[in-house]
Amino acid sequence: MTFLETLLAHSPALVIATPLLSAFLVPLVGRISPRIRDIFALVMLGVTGCFIGLLASDVLSHGSRVYVFGAKNLSVPLVRILFEVDSMGMFMAIITVMLAGIAVIYSWSFLQKQDGLDKYYTLLLLVTTSALGMELTGDIFNFFVFLEISCIASCALIAFWVEEGEALEAAFKYIVVSSIGALFVLFAIGLLYAQYNALNIATLAHLLQFSFLDKIILVLLLVSLGMKAGLAPMHMWIPDSYGRTPPSIVLLIMSATLASFYGILRVIFTMYGNVLTTPLRFSLPAHLIIGWILIALAIVSILIGVIMALIQTDLLRLIAYAAVAEIGYMFLAIGTSIAALGTTYATVALQGGVLHILNDAIDIGLLFLVAGAIYFVAKKRSLDDISGLARNMKYTTVFFIIGLLAVAGMPPLNGFTSKFLIYESVYQVNPILSIIALLGSILLLAVFIKVFYAAFLGPELPELKDVKEAPRSMLLAMGFLAALAVCIGLFPNIFLDALVKPAATALLDHAQYINMVVGGL
Amino acid sequence: MNISALSEVAVRVIVGSLGLAAFGIFFGLMLKGIDRKLSAHMQGRIGPPLRQPFRDVAKLFVKENIVPDQAIPWVFNLIPLVGLIGTISILIYLPLGGFPPLFSTAGDLIVVLYLLIIPSLCLVIGGFSSGSPYAIVGAQREMATMIAYEFPLAILIVSIAWNLLQKGMTQVFSFSTIVATPVWNQVSGPLGFIGFAILLVVLLLVTPAELSKIPFDAAEAETEIAGGLLVEYSGRNLAMFYLTDGVKTVVMASLIVAVFFPYNLSTLLGLGTYDGMVIDVVFFLFKVFLVILFSVTLIRVAIARLKIDQIVYTYWVPLTLVSLVGLILVMWDGVIMNFFSSA
Amino acid sequence: MFSLESGSGFWNPVLWVLALFILFLLFYGIRGFGKSTYKKGTEQTKVFLSGNKETSPEEMHVKASNLYWGFTTSMKSLYSLLRKMHTGNTSDYILWFVVVLAVVFLIMGVM
Repeated sequence: MTFLETLLAHSPALVIATPLLSAFLVPLVGRISPRIRDIFALVMLGVTGCFIGLLASDVLSHGSRVYVFGAKNLSVPLVRILFEVDSMGMFMAIITVMLAGIAVIYSWSFLQKQDGLDKYYTLLLLVTTSALGMELTGDIFNFFVFLEISCIASCALIAFWVEEGEALEAAFKYIVVSSIGALFVLFAIGLLYAQYNALNIATLAHLLQFSFLDKIILVLLLVSLGMKAGLAPMHMWIPDSYGRTPPSIVLLIMSATLASFYGILRVIFTMYGNVLTTPLRFSLPAHLIIGWILIALAIVSILIGVIMALIQTDLLRLIAYAAVAEIGYMFLAIGTSIAALGTTYATVALQGGVLHILNDAIDIGLLFLVAGAIYFVAKKRSLDDISGLARNMKYTTVFFIIGLLAVAGMPPLNGFTSKFLIYESVYQVNPILSIIALLGSILLLAVFIKVFYAAFLGPELPELKDVKEAPRSMLLAMGFLAALAVCIGLFPNIFLDALVKPAATALLDHAQYINMVVGGL
Repeated sequence: MNISALSEVAVRVIVGSLGLAAFGIFFGLMLKGIDRKLSAHMQGRIGPPLRQPFRDVAKLFVKENIVPDQAIPWVFNLIPLVGLIGTISILIYLPLGGFPPLFSTAGDLIVVLYLLIIPSLCLVIGGFSSGSPYAIVGAQREMATMIAYEFPLAILIVSIAWNLLQKGMTQVFSFSTIVATPVWNQVSGPLGFIGFAILLVVLLLVTPAELSKIPFDAAEAETEIAGGLLVEYSGRNLAMFYLTDGVKTVVMASLIVAVFFPYNLSTLLGLGTYDGMVIDVVFFLFKVFLVILFSVTLIRVAIARLKIDQIVYTYWVPLTLVSLVGLILVMWDGVIMNFFSSA
Repeated sequence: MFSLESGSGFWNPVLWVLALFILFLLFYGIRGFGKSTYKKGTEQTKVFLSGNKETSPEEMHVKASNLYWGFTTSMKSLYSLLRKMHTGNTSDYILWFVVVLAVVFLIMGVM
């Protein structure tokens, strides 16, 4: 075995271990020099990214792989945890590590003058670890453990600006909401273990009978993970916590949110994949009812998100409401693909939804970074107090325009590509769904045109006369996301073929996921 | 893909977009002239000659191009140009004059719906960037109008595609499918016909708002906010917006013709290739003229301007409800006819 | 090539950007024929306020919260409902969670 092959064989463990260990090394490195610590955090994320890249290229060309922690053979007592890595998990892991890397680059300048940065980088790497763990694990209890890590680490990060009372309040709300969510997940896992004496997702999927308890478990998992993902009307913690943290942290909380969304996908498509077609009520199959529940909640999310965003004056809260709407688009797509399971347009909808995960991370992330840059130079949160920044901040303006057009789904940027796939598939279930999705987009456009006017255009206020362009590291972070938005927008089919289609296929092919574990190990 | 196919695409893009630019601008200004002349006659005036819009543009090019102190120059100057080219680019997806679209497999109805946002969006950004309170008030009104009319417009476009899908078509958003199977031929009974008639009326009522004409021109409102979002524009920048307005008229009218009246005379009369083409083009221009006559000229002469909250209300409540009724009728169309035929 | 297909339609961004680029060159050239000068620093560059005197930027600034008045006014009842829903109390957040849980339980036929 060559060195590279050994590395590849253990890369699922290394993907988790690298950020986890470096999280606790950060305070030590910080003793040497803050500058080295800043670079160390990025380098370690880069190494994690390399492992993910290595693993992803292998998974995409040779199919999924299983990694065993603990007992190699099926002997009693059986103490082991399985990691099951497929294209969908890799897709999410790429997004997570990308967001984390950008957050680190951005915070070099953004948080330069703050103290407590040792703990900041530690927590940042812990949130990244937990999100990666949720995406790679094949064990439902392990999923819960990473979910808890992400709750606690995110809560501490939200309270980063602790001298402002609101940050503490937001952190308190976050910890209450997410621990209640996590407790319900734990309850559901307990029910699963009591019934089937197993915790492995593939084994559970193999054994699942869709009994009365299984229905309860499904509802508990769906709703509590839905709350963690920010589905309306359980979205209210999102504006609170996104609106009060440094924007670089929002990127990380967003990756944790997307990991919860991934959890829902895993639960429905893989764990309940075998039983989705069983009749549930009124002789309707289960997938139809589950799909329509998700679609209904998604429509509520889109409408509440955009309509509330239209009247916000606090820039960060405004973008947070837009993020709720974007989550709604993803749920609309997957809801459709579940409701119409088996048709060709269900696959298109799923591809649109999966691509939208990436696009949401890029677009909303970019807008948060721009909002952070505005806060950095103007030290103001309210849109009423800022004006005319385009005169002095040309690059930031251009990045904002890209983010604005992308999030509103204007061609030729990335938001349009995924929304295009969503519009042209969900209307086949019911035309009204596409209509509301189109309406949501135009409202998002109105929302961000308002921000564009208020922050960048408009007359020059005397107190903002000598603002300067944002520092270089912040521009680099924004520029990277903007470039990615343009690239995906111009060459959507390359990204679709390389990453999204394998991920969607992996989700739909639950039999293969189950056989990887149940068949051989 | 080999070199010759690639070069063919390149030639099509270059020649096609230049040709469409000439077509759009010429007929856009022509339609503007006709509209002004007709409305003048309806109001008992003589009105300007048909070539007046061309003279207006020529005159604007020799006027000073003023950039106000409070404006952001690079946005202020760039936006009129972007608006114009964005609007002309819509024409490459639309079937014009009986010919198929220049690129029939490069963009569909949803793309056109999105690109139709560009001209209004550019007006809004232009207004905001000029720094005048009048322009800002006008720009935010234009944006509110845009939100308002997009709801019925989306209902309309999705219903048409959905109906085609129910009739077993694929690629239902593509213009070649829509033109090859006109909506009126795709109804099973009277319900569907009434449904589409309602949707047509709604689309004709969306058109004046899309083109910022009375009664939905609160964004410009010359008598109230002095031209609103255009108040600070002058010279060649204003000429760009003037041309955009003309091209937008052609685009909107061609869209209505393509969706609702894609019929051609040449097949009906059994004419040969060249005379057929001529007849088709003339007939197409006639249809475009009729659409503009009914949805712009007649309405703007007859009705006064609405307030902005009335505009939003009109589109979001009565017109949305009406178009939903249209959609439901279209959805029931097939179901009820099947029910009767099986009973 | 570079075309996105959904089964119901298609979208080719590269071709559109190419057409846009050609049109940009053409109209940038045409725009160049127009007069580009104006009298800087004179009365000309002041904004038009129907003859009123231009005031300080703070007073001429239309604030962001005043935008879209027409929309918020005609949707007043919707907004009052939504504002009432967003109380900001953590107990209400959990209440919504419980409500959704209950509704989904009912629909799934567990209760």
